[in-house]
Amino acid sequence: MRRGIGVGAIKKEKLHQEKYRGKGNQIQENQLEQMSKQMEVFKTNLEDFATKHKNEIRKNPEFRKQFQEMCSSIGVDPLSSGKGFWSILGIGDFYYELAVQIVEVCLATTAKNGGLISLDELRTKLIKARGQSKSHQEISKDDLIRAAKKLRIFGSGFNVIPMGKDRYMVQSVPGELSMDHSIILQQAEKNTAHVSISYICKELNWENERCQKALEHMVDQGLAWIDSQDPQEIQYYFPSLYTACINSNA
Amino acid sequence: MPEVEIDWPWQYNFPPFYTLQQHPETRSKQVAAWKSLILNYCEKTKNYTIDVRDTNQCPLFNNSTINRKLEPDIIISILGELQRTGNAAPVDKAKNRWEIYWHTLEEWATIVYDFINERGMQNTVVTLYELTQGEDSIDTTFYGMNQDVLIKVLRVLEGDRKCELILEDDIQGAKFF
Repeated sequence: MRRGIGVGAIKKEKLHQEKYRGKGNQIQENQLEQMSKQMEVFKTNLEDFATKHKNEIRKNPEFRKQFQEMCSSIGVDPLSSGKGFWSILGIGDFYYELAVQIVEVCLATTAKNGGLISLDELRTKLIKARGQSKSHQEISKDDLIRAAKKLRIFGSGFNVIPMGKDRYMVQSVPGELSMDHSIILQQAEKNTAHVSISYICKELNWENERCQKALEHMVDQGLAWIDSQDPQEIQYYFPSLYTACINSNA
Repeated sequence: MPEVEIDWPWQYNFPPFYTLQQHPETRSKQVAAWKSLILNYCEKTKNYTIDVRDTNQCPLFNNSTINRKLEPDIIISILGELQRTGNAAPVDKAKNRWEIYWHTLEEWATIVYDFINERGMQNTVVTLYELTQGEDSIDTTFYGMNQDVLIKVLRVLEGDRKCELILEDDIQGAKFF
Protein backbone atom coordinates (compact mmCIF):
# COMPACT_ATOMS: atom_id res chain seq x y z
CA MET A 1 0.00 0.00 0.00
CA ARG A 2 1.27 3.39 -0.92
CA ARG A 3 1.92 5.66 1.97
CA GLY A 4 0.51 9.14 1.62
CA ILE A 5 3.35 11.56 1.13
CA GLY A 6 3.59 15.09 -0.08
CA VAL A 7 1.38 18.15 0.29
CA GLY A 8 -1.78 16.36 -0.87
CA ALA A 9 -1.46 13.76 1.82
CA ILE A 10 -0.94 16.34 4.55
CA LYS A 11 -3.97 18.29 3.47
CA LYS A 12 -6.03 15.16 3.39
CA GLU A 13 -4.86 14.23 6.88
CA LYS A 14 -5.83 17.67 8.17
CA LEU A 15 -9.24 17.39 6.62
CA HIS A 16 -9.79 14.08 8.35
CA GLN A 17 -8.78 15.52 11.68
CA GLU A 18 -11.16 18.41 11.30
CA LYS A 19 -13.96 16.07 10.43
CA TYR A 20 -13.21 13.99 13.47
CA ARG A 21 -13.15 17.04 15.69
CA GLY A 22 -16.44 18.23 14.24
CA LYS A 23 -18.02 14.87 14.83
CA GLY A 24 -16.59 14.75 18.32
CA ASN A 25 -18.05 18.12 19.18
CA GLN A 26 -21.36 17.08 17.76
CA ILE A 27 -21.41 13.94 19.88
CA GLN A 28 -20.49 15.91 22.94
CA GLU A 29 -23.21 18.43 22.31
CA ASN A 30 -25.70 15.66 21.80
CA GLN A 31 -24.68 14.05 25.02
CA LEU A 32 -24.89 17.33 26.91
CA GLU A 33 -28.27 18.01 25.45
CA GLN A 34 -29.42 14.56 26.41
CA MET A 35 -28.02 14.92 29.86
CA SER A 36 -29.74 18.26 30.35
CA LYS A 37 -32.94 16.69 29.13
CA GLN A 38 -32.49 13.83 31.55
CA MET A 39 -31.77 16.21 34.36
CA GLU A 40 -34.84 18.21 33.48
CA VAL A 41 -36.89 15.02 33.53
CA PHE A 42 -35.26 13.96 36.77
CA LYS A 43 -35.99 17.30 38.33
CA THR A 44 -39.60 17.19 37.22
CA ASN A 45 -39.90 13.67 38.53
CA LEU A 46 -38.27 14.72 41.76
CA GLU A 47 -40.78 17.53 42.09
CA ASP A 48 -43.63 15.15 41.33
CA PHE A 49 -42.19 12.72 43.77
CA ALA A 50 -41.81 15.39 46.42
CA THR A 51 -45.38 16.54 46.02
CA LYS A 52 -46.71 13.03 46.07
CA HIS A 53 -44.71 11.99 49.10
CA LYS A 54 -44.84 15.29 50.90
CA ASN A 55 -46.27 13.75 54.03
CA GLU A 56 -43.80 10.92 54.13
CA ILE A 57 -40.92 13.33 53.71
CA ARG A 58 -42.25 15.27 56.63
CA LYS A 59 -42.85 12.28 58.83
CA ASN A 60 -40.17 9.75 58.06
CA PRO A 61 -36.63 10.83 58.91
CA GLU A 62 -34.97 8.07 56.86
CA PHE A 63 -37.09 8.99 53.85
CA ARG A 64 -36.23 12.63 54.40
CA LYS A 65 -32.51 11.92 54.48
CA GLN A 66 -32.57 10.02 51.23
CA PHE A 67 -34.69 12.67 49.62
CA GLN A 68 -32.17 15.29 50.71
CA GLU A 69 -29.41 13.23 49.15
CA MET A 70 -31.30 12.95 45.86
CA CYS A 71 -31.82 16.67 45.83
CA SER A 72 -28.21 17.52 46.49
CA SER A 73 -27.10 15.19 43.70
CA ILE A 74 -28.75 17.52 41.19
CA GLY A 75 -27.90 20.71 43.00
CA VAL A 76 -31.29 21.49 44.50
CA ASP A 77 -31.35 22.57 48.13
CA PRO A 78 -34.92 22.43 49.37
CA LEU A 79 -33.77 24.05 52.60
CA SER A 80 -32.63 27.25 51.02
CA SER A 81 -35.51 27.43 48.57
CA GLY A 82 -37.96 29.64 50.34
CA LYS A 83 -39.62 30.60 47.09
CA GLY A 84 -40.92 28.78 44.08
CA PHE A 85 -41.84 25.18 43.83
CA TRP A 86 -39.90 23.88 46.82
CA SER A 87 -41.53 26.25 49.23
CA ILE A 88 -44.90 24.55 48.87
CA LEU A 89 -43.32 21.48 50.39
CA GLY A 90 -42.60 23.38 53.56
CA ILE A 91 -39.40 21.42 53.94
CA GLY A 92 -37.47 24.63 54.46
CA ASP A 93 -39.94 25.62 57.15
CA PHE A 94 -39.44 22.30 58.88
CA TYR A 95 -35.72 22.92 59.15
CA TYR A 96 -36.12 26.55 60.11
CA GLU A 97 -38.40 25.49 62.91
CA LEU A 98 -35.84 22.91 64.00
CA ALA A 99 -33.07 25.50 63.88
CA VAL A 100 -35.03 27.82 66.15
CA GLN A 101 -35.64 24.96 68.58
CA ILE A 102 -31.96 24.05 68.50
CA VAL A 103 -31.09 27.61 69.49
CA GLU A 104 -33.63 27.44 72.31
CA VAL A 105 -32.26 24.19 73.74
CA CYS A 106 -28.68 25.43 73.43
CA LEU A 107 -29.50 28.66 75.24
CA ALA A 108 -31.38 26.86 77.98
CA THR A 109 -28.48 24.51 78.68
CA THR A 110 -25.60 26.99 78.31
CA ALA A 111 -25.67 27.69 82.03
CA LYS A 112 -24.62 24.17 82.85
CA ASN A 113 -22.58 23.05 79.88
CA GLY A 114 -20.90 26.29 78.85
CA GLY A 115 -22.42 26.18 75.39
CA LEU A 116 -21.31 22.77 74.28
CA ILE A 117 -23.82 19.97 73.95
CA SER A 118 -23.75 16.50 72.47
CA LEU A 119 -26.07 15.93 69.57
CA ASP A 120 -27.73 13.10 71.48
CA GLU A 121 -28.56 15.29 74.45
CA LEU A 122 -29.71 18.06 72.13
CA ARG A 123 -32.01 15.64 70.35
CA THR A 124 -33.50 14.26 73.58
CA LYS A 125 -34.14 17.74 74.98
CA LEU A 126 -35.47 19.08 71.71
CA ILE A 127 -37.91 16.22 71.22
CA LYS A 128 -39.10 16.71 74.80
CA ALA A 129 -39.54 20.43 74.20
CA ARG A 130 -41.53 19.87 70.99
CA GLY A 131 -44.06 18.06 73.09
CA GLN A 132 -46.56 15.36 72.37
CA SER A 133 -48.62 17.22 69.79
CA LYS A 134 -45.89 16.85 67.21
CA SER A 135 -44.76 13.40 68.21
CA HIS A 136 -45.74 12.04 64.81
CA GLN A 137 -42.86 13.96 63.32
CA GLU A 138 -39.75 12.06 64.21
CA ILE A 139 -36.52 14.02 64.33
CA SER A 140 -33.31 12.28 63.32
CA LYS A 141 -29.76 13.30 64.06
CA ASP A 142 -29.35 13.96 60.36
CA ASP A 143 -32.19 16.50 60.49
CA LEU A 144 -30.53 18.24 63.41
CA ILE A 145 -27.16 18.43 61.72
CA ARG A 146 -28.73 19.90 58.59
CA ALA A 147 -30.65 22.46 60.59
CA ALA A 148 -27.67 23.30 62.83
CA LYS A 149 -25.45 23.82 59.82
CA LYS A 150 -27.92 26.37 58.51
CA LEU A 151 -27.29 28.36 61.67
CA ARG A 152 -23.77 29.07 60.50
CA ILE A 153 -25.08 31.99 58.50
CA PHE A 154 -25.27 33.83 61.81
CA GLY A 155 -21.48 33.70 62.03
CA SER A 156 -19.19 31.60 64.13
CA GLY A 157 -21.73 31.31 66.93
CA PHE A 158 -22.91 27.88 65.90
CA ASN A 159 -20.71 24.97 65.04
CA VAL A 160 -21.17 21.27 64.53
CA ILE A 161 -18.08 19.45 65.75
CA PRO A 162 -17.56 15.90 64.45
CA MET A 163 -16.41 13.57 67.20
CA GLY A 164 -15.88 10.55 65.01
CA LYS A 165 -18.14 7.57 64.37
CA ASP A 166 -21.56 9.24 64.06
CA ARG A 167 -20.93 11.34 67.16
CA TYR A 168 -21.27 15.11 67.11
CA MET A 169 -21.26 18.04 69.47
CA VAL A 170 -22.96 21.36 68.87
CA GLN A 171 -21.18 24.47 70.05
CA SER A 172 -23.43 27.45 70.61
CA VAL A 173 -21.04 30.11 71.84
CA PRO A 174 -18.63 32.09 69.71
CA GLY A 175 -15.06 30.94 69.96
CA GLU A 176 -13.06 28.79 67.67
CA LEU A 177 -12.47 25.20 68.56
CA SER A 178 -9.58 23.68 66.67
CA MET A 179 -8.91 20.09 65.76
CA ASP A 180 -6.87 19.73 68.96
CA HIS A 181 -9.86 20.73 71.05
CA SER A 182 -12.23 18.28 69.45
CA ILE A 183 -9.66 15.52 69.86
CA ILE A 184 -9.45 16.37 73.56
CA LEU A 185 -13.23 16.22 73.79
CA GLN A 186 -13.13 12.77 72.23
CA GLN A 187 -10.56 11.67 74.80
CA ALA A 188 -12.63 13.08 77.65
CA GLU A 189 -15.74 11.38 76.34
CA LYS A 190 -14.22 7.93 76.74
CA ASN A 191 -12.71 8.80 80.13
CA THR A 192 -15.86 9.78 82.11
CA ALA A 193 -15.77 13.42 81.09
CA HIS A 194 -12.29 14.33 82.30
CA VAL A 195 -8.66 14.40 81.22
CA SER A 196 -5.33 15.55 82.61
CA ILE A 197 -2.26 16.87 80.87
CA SER A 198 -0.28 13.67 81.35
CA TYR A 199 -3.28 11.58 80.26
CA ILE A 200 -3.53 13.46 76.97
CA CYS A 201 0.22 13.48 76.43
CA LYS A 202 0.30 9.74 76.90
CA GLU A 203 -2.79 8.90 74.85
CA LEU A 204 -2.01 11.19 71.93
CA ASN A 205 1.75 11.45 72.12
CA TRP A 206 1.54 15.22 72.33
CA GLU A 207 4.06 17.70 73.69
CA ASN A 208 3.24 18.93 77.17
CA GLU A 209 2.92 22.52 75.97
CA ARG A 210 0.52 21.74 73.15
CA CYS A 211 -1.72 19.91 75.55
CA GLN A 212 -1.62 22.60 78.21
CA LYS A 213 -2.39 25.32 75.71
CA ALA A 214 -5.39 23.47 74.33
CA LEU A 215 -6.80 22.68 77.78
CA GLU A 216 -6.32 26.23 79.04
CA HIS A 217 -8.15 27.52 76.01
CA MET A 218 -11.11 25.31 76.84
CA VAL A 219 -11.10 26.55 80.44
CA ASP A 220 -11.08 30.13 79.11
CA GLN A 221 -14.06 29.30 76.93
CA GLY A 222 -15.98 28.11 79.96
CA LEU A 223 -16.11 24.58 78.53
CA ALA A 224 -13.88 22.89 81.08
CA TRP A 225 -13.81 22.98 84.88
CA ILE A 226 -10.64 22.50 86.91
CA ASP A 227 -10.40 19.96 89.72
CA SER A 228 -7.28 20.49 91.83
CA GLN A 229 -8.12 17.92 94.52
CA ASP A 230 -7.03 14.89 92.56
CA PRO A 231 -4.09 13.29 94.39
CA GLN A 232 -2.06 12.95 91.18
CA GLU A 233 -2.53 16.10 89.15
CA ILE A 234 -5.01 18.72 87.97
CA GLN A 235 -7.99 17.24 86.16
CA TYR A 236 -10.04 19.01 83.51
CA TYR A 237 -13.75 18.17 83.53
CA PHE A 238 -16.30 18.79 80.79
CA PRO A 239 -19.86 19.22 82.09
CA SER A 240 -21.17 18.81 78.54
CA LEU A 241 -19.94 15.21 78.64
CA TYR A 242 -20.74 14.50 82.28
CA THR A 243 -23.64 12.05 82.45
CA ALA A 244 -25.33 13.47 85.54
CA CYS A 245 -25.20 16.94 84.02
CA ILE A 246 -26.61 15.71 80.72
CA ASN A 247 -29.49 13.98 82.51
CA SER A 248 -30.34 16.89 84.77
CA ASN A 249 -33.12 19.22 83.80
CA ALA A 250 -31.73 22.18 85.66
CA MET B 1 -28.85 16.08 112.55
CA PRO B 2 -32.11 14.48 111.40
CA GLU B 3 -31.93 11.92 108.64
CA VAL B 4 -33.58 13.31 105.53
CA GLU B 5 -33.34 12.53 101.88
CA ILE B 6 -31.37 15.23 100.15
CA ASP B 7 -32.03 15.69 96.47
CA TRP B 8 -28.42 16.40 95.55
CA PRO B 9 -27.92 18.41 92.36
CA TRP B 10 -25.73 16.92 89.64
CA GLN B 11 -22.86 19.17 90.68
CA TYR B 12 -22.61 17.44 94.07
CA ASN B 13 -20.74 14.49 92.57
CA PHE B 14 -18.87 16.59 90.02
CA PRO B 15 -15.28 16.75 91.39
CA PRO B 16 -14.36 20.26 90.14
CA PHE B 17 -17.39 21.64 92.02
CA TYR B 18 -15.09 21.60 95.08
CA THR B 19 -12.31 23.66 93.47
CA LEU B 20 -13.01 27.36 93.13
CA GLN B 21 -13.08 28.01 89.38
CA GLN B 22 -10.90 30.80 88.02
CA HIS B 23 -12.85 31.53 84.86
CA PRO B 24 -15.30 34.31 85.86
CA GLU B 25 -18.41 32.93 84.15
CA THR B 26 -17.79 29.38 85.25
CA ARG B 27 -17.15 30.60 88.79
CA SER B 28 -20.38 32.56 88.97
CA LYS B 29 -22.29 29.45 87.89
CA GLN B 30 -20.43 27.45 90.50
CA VAL B 31 -21.10 29.95 93.29
CA ALA B 32 -24.77 30.22 92.34
CA ALA B 33 -25.07 26.43 92.50
CA TRP B 34 -23.39 26.34 95.91
CA LYS B 35 -25.65 29.08 97.25
CA SER B 36 -28.83 27.28 96.33
CA LEU B 37 -27.43 23.93 97.49
CA ILE B 38 -26.53 25.37 100.92
CA LEU B 39 -29.96 26.92 101.37
CA ASN B 40 -31.78 23.78 100.20
CA TYR B 41 -29.67 21.55 102.40
CA CYS B 42 -30.14 23.69 105.50
CA GLU B 43 -33.87 23.90 104.89
CA LYS B 44 -34.22 20.14 104.46
CA THR B 45 -32.10 19.33 107.51
CA LYS B 46 -33.44 22.30 109.52
CA ASN B 47 -29.92 23.48 110.09
CA TYR B 48 -30.04 27.09 111.22
CA THR B 49 -26.31 27.38 111.82
CA ILE B 50 -23.10 26.37 110.11
CA ASP B 51 -19.77 26.32 111.86
CA VAL B 52 -17.08 26.57 109.24
CA ARG B 53 -14.66 24.71 111.54
CA ASP B 54 -16.93 21.62 111.62
CA THR B 55 -17.61 21.29 107.92
CA ASN B 56 -15.45 18.19 107.61
CA GLN B 57 -18.22 16.22 109.31
CA CYS B 58 -20.94 17.74 107.17
CA PRO B 59 -21.86 15.81 104.01
CA LEU B 60 -22.83 19.11 102.44
CA PHE B 61 -19.23 20.25 102.19
CA ASN B 62 -17.46 16.92 102.40
CA ASN B 63 -18.41 14.39 99.76
CA SER B 64 -16.67 11.23 100.91
CA THR B 65 -17.94 9.25 97.93
CA ILE B 66 -15.75 11.16 95.52
CA ASN B 67 -13.26 12.26 98.17
CA ARG B 68 -13.72 15.98 97.61
CA LYS B 69 -14.38 18.76 100.08
CA LEU B 70 -14.92 22.47 100.00
CA GLU B 71 -12.22 24.39 101.88
CA PRO B 72 -13.33 26.69 104.76
CA ASP B 73 -12.11 29.88 103.08
CA ILE B 74 -14.21 29.13 100.02
CA ILE B 75 -17.19 28.30 102.23
CA ILE B 76 -16.78 31.65 103.99
CA SER B 77 -16.72 33.52 100.70
CA ILE B 78 -19.88 31.75 99.51
CA LEU B 79 -21.60 32.45 102.83
CA GLY B 80 -20.52 36.05 102.33
CA GLU B 81 -22.40 36.00 99.03
CA LEU B 82 -25.47 34.65 100.83
CA GLN B 83 -25.12 37.44 103.37
CA ARG B 84 -25.51 40.01 100.60
CA THR B 85 -28.99 38.73 99.85
CA GLY B 86 -29.95 38.45 103.51
CA ASN B 87 -29.73 34.66 103.48
CA ALA B 88 -26.88 34.32 105.98
CA ALA B 89 -25.11 36.28 108.69
CA PRO B 90 -21.90 35.68 110.62
CA VAL B 91 -22.39 35.30 114.38
CA ASP B 92 -18.79 35.87 115.49
CA LYS B 93 -16.15 38.28 114.31
CA ALA B 94 -13.88 35.58 112.95
CA LYS B 95 -16.75 34.51 110.66
CA ASN B 96 -16.53 30.94 111.87
CA ARG B 97 -20.13 30.60 112.96
CA TRP B 98 -22.95 31.54 110.64
CA GLU B 99 -26.70 31.64 110.76
CA ILE B 100 -28.41 30.50 107.60
CA TYR B 101 -31.73 31.98 106.51
CA TRP B 102 -33.35 30.04 103.65
CA HIS B 103 -36.11 32.54 104.25
CA THR B 104 -34.74 36.00 104.93
CA LEU B 105 -35.54 37.42 108.38
CA GLU B 106 -38.20 39.64 106.76
CA GLU B 107 -39.80 36.64 105.06
CA TRP B 108 -39.77 34.69 108.32
CA ALA B 109 -41.35 37.67 110.08
CA THR B 110 -44.25 37.65 107.64
CA ILE B 111 -44.68 33.88 108.02
CA VAL B 112 -44.74 34.06 111.82
CA TYR B 113 -47.04 37.07 111.88
CA ASP B 114 -49.48 35.43 109.46
CA PHE B 115 -49.58 32.39 111.73
CA ILE B 116 -50.37 34.58 114.75
CA ASN B 117 -53.14 36.32 112.82
CA GLU B 118 -54.68 33.10 111.59
CA ARG B 119 -54.82 31.78 115.15
CA GLY B 120 -56.14 35.06 116.52
CA MET B 121 -53.27 35.19 118.95
CA GLN B 122 -52.82 38.94 118.91
CA ASN B 123 -52.68 40.69 122.24
CA THR B 124 -51.59 37.58 124.02
CA VAL B 125 -48.15 36.67 125.20
CA VAL B 126 -46.71 33.68 123.38
CA THR B 127 -43.54 32.12 124.67
CA LEU B 128 -40.66 31.39 122.36
CA TYR B 129 -41.03 27.75 123.30
CA GLU B 130 -44.69 27.70 122.30
CA LEU B 131 -43.89 29.34 119.01
CA THR B 132 -41.27 26.89 117.87
CA GLN B 133 -42.01 23.76 119.90
CA GLY B 134 -45.70 24.06 120.70
CA GLU B 135 -48.38 21.73 119.43
CA ASP B 136 -50.01 24.49 117.43
CA SER B 137 -46.95 25.13 115.35
CA ILE B 138 -46.03 21.53 114.53
CA ASP B 139 -47.18 21.99 110.95
CA THR B 140 -45.51 25.34 110.43
CA THR B 141 -42.25 25.81 108.57
CA PHE B 142 -40.73 27.53 111.58
CA TYR B 143 -41.32 24.58 113.90
CA GLY B 144 -38.04 23.85 115.66
CA MET B 145 -36.50 27.18 114.74
CA ASN B 146 -33.23 28.09 116.36
CA GLN B 147 -33.96 30.48 119.23
CA ASP B 148 -31.36 33.09 118.26
CA VAL B 149 -32.82 33.23 114.78
CA LEU B 150 -36.33 33.44 116.19
CA ILE B 151 -35.41 36.42 118.33
CA LYS B 152 -33.98 38.18 115.26
CA VAL B 153 -37.21 37.47 113.39
CA LEU B 154 -39.25 38.88 116.26
CA ARG B 155 -37.01 41.95 116.35
CA VAL B 156 -38.01 42.60 112.75
CA LEU B 157 -41.68 42.45 113.79
CA GLU B 158 -40.92 44.65 116.77
CA GLY B 159 -39.41 47.21 114.40
CA ASP B 160 -42.69 47.18 112.49
CA ARG B 161 -44.59 47.56 115.80
CA LYS B 162 -46.24 44.22 115.31
CA CYS B 163 -44.96 42.68 118.52
CA GLU B 164 -43.08 43.37 121.68
CA LEU B 165 -40.33 41.07 122.78
CA ILE B 166 -40.24 39.98 126.38
CA LEU B 167 -36.88 38.58 127.39
CA GLU B 168 -37.05 38.24 131.14
CA ASP B 169 -35.47 35.52 133.23
CA ASP B 170 -38.78 33.92 134.06
CA ILE B 171 -40.54 34.46 130.76
CA GLN B 172 -39.21 34.62 127.24
CA GLY B 173 -41.75 35.38 124.60
CA ALA B 174 -43.52 38.07 122.66
CA LYS B 175 -46.76 39.92 122.73
CA PHE B 176 -48.21 40.38 119.28
CA PHE B 177 -50.35 43.28 118.12
